[in-house]
Amino acid sequence: MGLGIVIAVISGKGGVGKTTAVANLGLGIAMNGKSCAVVDFDIGQRNLDMILGLENRVVYDIVQVMNGKATLQQALIKSKVEDNLRFLAASQIDDKRVLNSQKVKKLIDELRAKFEYVLLDSPAGIESGFEHTIEFADAAIIVVNPEVSSIRDADKAIGILDSKSQKVKEGGEVGKYLIINRIVPDMVQSGEMLKSEDILDILNIGLIGKIPEDSGVIDASNQGKPVILDKNSEAGQAYKRISARLCGKKVDMKDVESADTSLFKKLAGIFK
Amino acid sequence: MQSNQYSVKVFECSIDNEDEFIEFFDTNYTLFKDHLIVINGEISERIMDYLNYKSLVFANNLKLPKGRTRRALEEELLAERREYNIDRFLAQMEIEKLSNRLQNNLRVYNEIIRSGRELNIDGDLLLLNRVNSGANIYVSGNFIAIKLVEGFVWCNGNFMILSASSKATIIFKGVELDNSYLKGKLNRVEYKNQEIVITPVFEKEISWV
Repeated sequence: MGLGIVIAVISGKGGVGKTTAVANLGLGIAMNGKSCAVVDFDIGQRNLDMILGLENRVVYDIVQVMNGKATLQQALIKSKVEDNLRFLAASQIDDKRVLNSQKVKKLIDELRAKFEYVLLDSPAGIESGFEHTIEFADAAIIVVNPEVSSIRDADKAIGILDSKSQKVKEGGEVGKYLIINRIVPDMVQSGEMLKSEDILDILNIGLIGKIPEDSGVIDASNQGKPVILDKNSEAGQAYKRISARLCGKKVDMKDVESADTSLFKKLAGIFK
Repeated sequence: MQSNQYSVKVFECSIDNEDEFIEFFDTNYTLFKDHLIVINGEISERIMDYLNYKSLVFANNLKLPKGRTRRALEEELLAERREYNIDRFLAQMEIEKLSNRLQNNLRVYNEIIRSGRELNIDGDLLLLNRVNSGANIYVSGNFIAIKLVEGFVWCNGNFMILSASSKATIIFKGVELDNSYLKGKLNRVEYKNQEIVITPVFEKEISWV
């Protein structure tokens, strides 16, 4: 198998839905028939396992693999719903200081050789854990919420990505794709929430998808069944579209910002 | 109001000897009959009668505005011209200084200046992309930003050209500017005669970029 693509999922600010995005996109890519690994890089604060519903399967974690106490093969956990998806858990005991560039590079090279897609779930913030996540990535998905604090933190994270990534140091460029998460159409319409155009203006990177606010997401995460599995969920559909785009399919951008305010939706609301 | 302007010839005199005065006017009547006769000092009844008899127009103790001599006017004009030349010379010197500095250490950045980035520039700075909120820029020379500025800018040059949002902090020559003047289009901020002057730059004017 050829070399896969390593995508770091970053946000700068915490709580914008990064881990949820990793879980859903990992599943989505696997559903498109590609082999995919999702890796929790949030050392010391493991939670991707819960969202994927694989909590009780974790035996070995990423730190043990990096320290040679377990092989990658042993530590990779197969998803319950998708054969193509594997998961590598973060350590809950160690903290991010155990990471160093050589170990991270070795692990990522190993993953790159095994999978077509590797998604790295970055810790929030811009500390060493974040820097190790982006260091050897080929591309980055930046997850933001339509609010100023999230945008500014993402802006800073992109700045670091552009200066610290190995690919940039070698004279290349890291692909950067934006996901705008938790859009409330009504609030965008009324001007309370930032418009996508404004966000794109500020961050100046390519958009790969917009995800509407969906109350089903939290419940899905709690149950360990990512929302992409729910056919009726708006957010799930949005993740499906993004996954398809990541797999090279051409999918039209859906206007989630005005979807909810359409006349039919309003009429449907009346007759509910 | 209806008004007319005339230039009037004035014959001004004071009377010491009445006979002499009457004799003068008798001989020179045709020369002075259209003049306004201004007499300083008292006018006796005899003179008054004489003036009326000759139907001459006269006034008593009138202070007339006196024009300056041609020579004085010329001198004044010369001084004005000299001052103007000095002004022009100074302006040219300033422009030369400015253009020298612009060419000597102008830095140009093409990329977005993102949050958390700090630029310390000794000289002039030209930015072709945005300055995002959370970015800090310190320029000792002039500052030009083509796109929107939302971060912090400290400039100590002679001028700035920028447009800034309300989020930005712009400090020019140690004074924090009121951003409401910098919204929308590009603005030119200059330091002129101890004052900071902000004027909008029209689209056409930035063709030199």
